[in-house]
This record gives sequence, structure tokens and C-alpha cells, in this order.
Amino acid sequence: MAGKISTIAARLDQLYEFDREPVSLDKLQSGSKFAGLFAGEHVAATEFVIGAFFVLHGVTARDLVWGLLLGNLLAVLSWTFVCAPIAVRTRLTLYWYLRKIAGPGLTVIYNIANAILYCILAGAMIAVSATAIGLAFNIETPSLSDVFPTSIGWILITIALGAAFTALAILGFEKLSKFAQVCSPWIFIVFIAGALAMLPRLGVQSNFSNFWDVAKSRIWNGIAAPGQDKFGFWHILFFAWFCNLAMHIGLSDLAIFRYAKKWTYGLYTAFGMFPGHMLAWISSGIMVAAVGREMNPGLMAYEAAGLAGVAGLILAGWTTANPTLYRAGLALQVITPNWPRWKVTLAAGTITTVISCFPIVFVKLLNYVAIYGLVQMPIGAVVFAEHWILPKLKIEQYRAEKYQWLINWRALVVWAGTLIICFLLPLHLYFLWLPGYFIALAGYVGLQALKRNET
Amino acid sequence: MERKIMAILAIVSLSLCLVFPIVHFLGKINAAGYKSGFLLASAAWFIFATLWIIRPKNRIKDK
Repeated sequence: MAGKISTIAARLDQLYEFDREPVSLDKLQSGSKFAGLFAGEHVAATEFVIGAFFVLHGVTARDLVWGLLLGNLLAVLSWTFVCAPIAVRTRLTLYWYLRKIAGPGLTVIYNIANAILYCILAGAMIAVSATAIGLAFNIETPSLSDVFPTSIGWILITIALGAAFTALAILGFEKLSKFAQVCSPWIFIVFIAGALAMLPRLGVQSNFSNFWDVAKSRIWNGIAAPGQDKFGFWHILFFAWFCNLAMHIGLSDLAIFRYAKKWTYGLYTAFGMFPGHMLAWISSGIMVAAVGREMNPGLMAYEAAGLAGVAGLILAGWTTANPTLYRAGLALQVITPNWPRWKVTLAAGTITTVISCFPIVFVKLLNYVAIYGLVQMPIGAVVFAEHWILPKLKIEQYRAEKYQWLINWRALVVWAGTLIICFLLPLHLYFLWLPGYFIALAGYVGLQALKRNET
Repeated sequence: MERKIMAILAIVSLSLCLVFPIVHFLGKINAAGYKSGFLLASAAWFIFATLWIIRPKNRIKDK
């Protein structure tokens, strides 16, 4: 028995990928793989919730369309001009590059924070998928005000789903990409099919002649649900832009783009943004309006597409939670240097599963997404400044690595200071990150310029 | 050759997944018919797409 287990463990150890060294040229991936990966990652279970929340927040149809078009365009450009160029020059994950800049001590702190944030996000995806299973077993979906688990049934469902998601995440990046290739086109069709099938219920005629009138009056009618803030154009634009802030401006996707042949591969994120963060959000808005504005992703999927819709919701959660768990595993690996990949992913999966039991992670998803990006943004600014701005100003780079610093105190001060300033700014949560980014850039360059080099 | 057939069948299945809701939207079939058709087309997509992806691109001929 012990021999079998050690054999399995040895096989799992072979799944180790080139996380700690720059990716070699023979490991670079084609553009189609990036398109498949992003398409799969951004048509997620959470899209059922996000698009529906826009309806509950009383956004108008015009503000929604323009906000999503421009916000998603800004997100694609952020990946292309901020994240991908650094990734193809360094071929390192953010964690190992940050270690050169901020020192191993700060990297440890950052990675603990990062791993927790990723686990909460993956937990939200599990919770959303769990609403589909709950429907089959007649387990009530938590309401918009619930924080703690509402029943034993809810806990059992989230644990079962979390275990399944974690098992697949352990199989590694290549297999995840293949799995996403099969699932992602179909999941996208589930959103489109579900929305199309619900349109007659809302009164849309078969020639689409009254679609815009119905959209303005019965779906995005500008009336917020009780207890929900009223959203406008800027809320939607900023949400679409910062929804993946941690990945583009926060540079977490260095882990993905280090496999890219060219920095222009950042444009492949459009395959995720426009179908996933535009059409899918619009579709889920239509679905929630058709079920009487009840925030229940499982019910929405079932009413819109039957059993296939339920399967779509579960698979959408699965395919997106997997890369998120992969990232959480990478983040944890820095603080567990002797652990094989499968073991760190298992640890991340266990934490995620526990978090997914708490419904607050999906009923307050929009605010969580904003906080998640905001926390990681200053580190992205520090790395951007170190990589591009310091050499232009002839300020010494990579001092933490050169002088064996445990912590680059200037980076820590900028990170903490930026977050404190952001939370003091009299702005809506969604708008805080943009001034914060420039504060972090200026603060870090200013502190580094105080002593241009150590020798 | 087998890989190409699987690819064609997968794409046809996925197209059918879109055809059923369109036909329902146009009022030609009821909701139950749309949901059953969509479920069958979805199952076909997963079978054919998986067979398409797992088949190697260039198979070595037996000597």
C-alpha cells in the first residue's frame, strides 16, 4: 500500500512545470492555445452572477452596452501594453520576478495574500456552481444578505464540488488547457442559447423588432432592486476594466504570458473579454430578468436551458476555478519550497473548498472583485516602475537581489501606503484603483530616487 | 481521416446547440422540445469533441 502511494506520489511529482526558471524557447505556446485558454477562463460560472447583478443594480441598457465595450477594450489593452511585454522579456512568473525586486520576505507576504485572494475567487466559482446542484436536491440558494452557510446540504454540495475541482487542478496546465478547449465553446453557447430562449418570455418578438424596447423597459430598466446601489456608465466601464485587474495591471498573468512568443499575444485576451465579459454578462442579465429578478444562478440556468444549462453552470465553474487554483498553487509554492506541485494545489483546493461554504463570497462578488484587484494593484505598479521607469531614470534596479535584502522596505511602504490612501479617498470602491496606481508608481520611483544606487 | 470526421461531427453538434434555441425563439418548437434537443446536441458535442482532441494529428502507420 505504502509502495503504491509512493509510486503515485512520484508520478505526480513529474507534473512539475518550469515555475522557478525562465521558460525556455522550446516551451513557448502558440497563439491558438492562448485564445483557447482565455476563452475558457473568462466564460465562467461567475458570469451568471455578474451580468445578473448589473440588472439588480439598475443600470440602463445604453450605459451597459457602452460601458462594457469600452471597459473590456481597456482591459485588453492593459494586458497587451502592461503585462505581456514584461512577461516576454523576463519569462518569469510574477512571484519569482518580484523576488528580485522586493526580496524574499515581501514575496512571502505577497504570496500569502495572493493565495488567499485566489482561493476566495475560486471559492466563489464553486459556490455559484453549487446553486445548480442545490436545485436538484431542493436545497435553498442563500439570499443576497446571507454571510454564513444556510444549511448542511449547502455545505455538503460545496465540499463535493470543491474536491472535484481540486482533483482536476492537480493534473496541471497542459491538461487544463485541453479541458477548456472542449468546454469553453459549448459554455459560451449555453449563455447565448439560454438568453435567446428566454427572450419570448420577456415579450421579444421573433423578428427582434421590439428587442431594444424590451431591453430598456423589462431588463436594464434603470431601477435598482431594494438594497442595491444604483449603477451607471462609469460603474460598468470601471467594473469591466478592473474585473481582471490583478491579472493585467497587477501582473499575475506573467505566469501565463511567459509562454507567449510575442507581447502582442496580449490581444488574445479579447477572446475572453468580449464573449465572456460582454455577451455572457448581457445574456445572464436577460436570464435574471426572465426569472423575476431572483438571484439564483442554478434556477436561471435550468429555466433557460434545462439540464444542459445546469451542466453548463457546473462546468463553467470548473473550467475557471481550475486555472485560479493553479495560480493559487504557484503563489503558495514560494512559501513551501520543498513541496511538489500536487501537494500545494491540494492545500489551495482545501482552503478554497472551506471558503466556498460561505455564501458571502458570491452574494457580494462584485465588491470582492474590486477589493481583490485593488490589493494587488500596488505590487503591479512597483514591478512596472522597476522594469521600465528605473532604467530610464538611471536608477539602480533589482537591489533586493543584488544586496540580498530580505525585504525591500520601499516596496512594502508603497504597497501599504497606497492601500491606506485608496481607502481614505472619497470615491466609490470601483474608482479607487486608478488614482491608486499612479500614487504607487510615483511613490515607488520617488523613494528609489532618494538613493539612486547602493554603491 | 478519423480525426477530421470527429471534428466535422463536433462542429455540427455545436451548431445544433445554437439551432435549437433559435428555432424555439422563432416559435417553431416548444420549450420542452428545445431543452431536449439542446441536451442531446450538447452530449454529442462532448463525445465528438473529446474524440477529436484525443486523436493524434499524424498517426504512424504500422509496418
